[in-house]
Amino acid sequence: MTTFDRTRPSPSGIEQSSEPESVRFEHVDKSYGSTEVLKDFNIDIEAGSMVSFLGPSGCGKTTTLRILAGFEPVNGGDVLVGGESVLKLPPNSRDMGMVFQSYSLFPNLSVSDNIEYGLRIRKVDAGARRGRTEELLEICGLSGMGTRFPHQLSGGQQQRVALARALATQPKVLLLDEPLSALDASVRSSLRDEIRRVQQALGTTTVFITHDQGEALAIADRVAVMNDGRIEQYSAPHEVYASPATAFVARFVGSINEFAVDRDWTIRDRLPVEPTPDDTVFVRPENLSITAAPDGFLEVKHSTYTGERTMVHLGLPGDHSPQWSASLASAEADAMCPGLRIDASVTAEPALRLDRNNAEGLPA
Amino acid sequence: MAQHLNSSPRMRRFLAWLPLVALAIFILTPLLSSLAYSFFRADGSFTTSGLTGLADSGKIVAPLTRSLIVSVLAAVILVVTLVPAVVAVHLWAPRLRSVLSILCTLPLVVPAIAIVAGLSTVLRSLASQGRGSLGMQLNTMLQSQDLPLVLVGTYVILCLPFTFRSIDAGLSTLPLRTLFESSSILGAGLGTTLRRVIIPNIRGPVMFSLFFTFALSIAEYTVAATLSINTLPVFLNTLSSTNFRGSITLSVLLNLTTWLLLAAATVSASRFGHRPNAVSEDDETEADDPAAASRKDAVTS
Repeated sequence: MTTFDRTRPSPSGIEQSSEPESVRFEHVDKSYGSTEVLKDFNIDIEAGSMVSFLGPSGCGKTTTLRILAGFEPVNGGDVLVGGESVLKLPPNSRDMGMVFQSYSLFPNLSVSDNIEYGLRIRKVDAGARRGRTEELLEICGLSGMGTRFPHQLSGGQQQRVALARALATQPKVLLLDEPLSALDASVRSSLRDEIRRVQQALGTTTVFITHDQGEALAIADRVAVMNDGRIEQYSAPHEVYASPATAFVARFVGSINEFAVDRDWTIRDRLPVEPTPDDTVFVRPENLSITAAPDGFLEVKHSTYTGERTMVHLGLPGDHSPQWSASLASAEADAMCPGLRIDASVTAEPALRLDRNNAEGLPA
Repeated sequence: MAQHLNSSPRMRRFLAWLPLVALAIFILTPLLSSLAYSFFRADGSFTTSGLTGLADSGKIVAPLTRSLIVSVLAAVILVVTLVPAVVAVHLWAPRLRSVLSILCTLPLVVPAIAIVAGLSTVLRSLASQGRGSLGMQLNTMLQSQDLPLVLVGTYVILCLPFTFRSIDAGLSTLPLRTLFESSSILGAGLGTTLRRVIIPNIRGPVMFSLFFTFALSIAEYTVAATLSINTLPVFLNTLSSTNFRGSITLSVLLNLTTWLLLAAATVSASRFGHRPNAVSEDDETEADDPAAASRKDAVTS
């Protein structure tokens, strides 16, 4: 696989000829029967950027994508692409590209014919079609596979073809509906980087739907964390992780420890800043420092080795199951055998501090 | 010892083939007898009088063309109407699928003669509106000897039970919704999607439907005879009173044609059902693919 160097132009010289467009959802409501899927949904997606929609299944992220594609009508509000409403346009006039979880290549057409499909419908002449297809085959790492048929390709290759097919028509917006979910873990991460590389090379406005937080954080310029038909937080990946806006985001993205300040041992003394007694603080495992101490108030329950780092699971001495965890370099974690009494302190400002009497979270 | 072990599977194989052989004898005996009668006199000498008798009279031409036109029309109309209907039901009204299935199966339980009785009543009531009326004109048009549309319609209905099952099964194996959505987001309208994506992926069932409808239509007797439309099988029946040997020859030929068509239907259902899986088959796929054809057009223009 080729690696992409951001400082140089894309290796094949392929360019997005049409200007990228911005996408805007304004007060969109959507319900199926009596089930409300989206409630007063708003988002602004900057032209040329890549946004991932992250959320548990049933949170409305796929519905959002299908509304943008034109496959689902809305009950209220407006959807704008490049400043113009697209709600009245059918899917085949919206000029978008889409990649599905299930690849969805046309089984009767060869790889080249699949990629050329959209161009042929736009009556692009044969020479230009060939050229464009060759470029896309190369940029998507499929050189020499043009004459193959979809069933002769692996899942990862099929999804590359689907990506090339979606990009062939130089769409205003590229829609990726969990494109990596059906692939093996190793293919998944390499294709994820590949998608990002191609997206940056072409500068296509892209919406990436996923339920995998690792994917969402790794691939996008901004992440929209969705829950129950609303956006809980919409910001850069590092902000979503380091300063989650709500308890939902804190719990959904990455693993996190929750401490009720007035109840859970003496955490109050071990925080870098003074909390109010009603606070619940959210601390990332890497910000929880543990040291062996004979009179420690916590006990190591067990450890999970993940290679470079080891997650040490902690609990109160009398409890059966662990409630918290600390992430340690694996070398340091060797000494943390189950049953060991330890002391813990928080080394950084908590990711999120919540007043338990107030459901809405305020960033710490 | 070894012999004993061998004889058992051999015996089993023989028993497995036995019903097949019996069936072949049952089917082939009348056919071979007819064939023998067509070309050999009672004393065993060879004759082609049956065949030449058919050709000489020239009377066969009209019924033959009529039958061919009716059969081709029936096959084409069936595919052109049934495929979009079944696709629409799969995509937008999955609950109606069972309704459609029952509707399409009905002709199987209603005997052809009952369909004709119903049709005749309708046609009579149309004619009873009097000379020059719209009903009368419609009646004449439907039963025209040049183009008996009433037969085309009836044959389409009679073939529905078999062709619907085939097309329905073919579509069920496809991820129809995502194929449809991929195609439309790439800019294709409904017609283009049907022509370039859906039909090429159910080629087997479509070919089966075409061959099956043609075969059934060209050999159908009851409906045509009752409506007094002189198709090939009706002509065959009339012929038996004047040129008996000729009528037997014709029946053998018709029988063989139908058989061949049904064999073609079966073979195409299984053969075209397979996806091309080797590079050697690429050419064939391109030839069958309207998209490839249009690309060639674009290249030449």
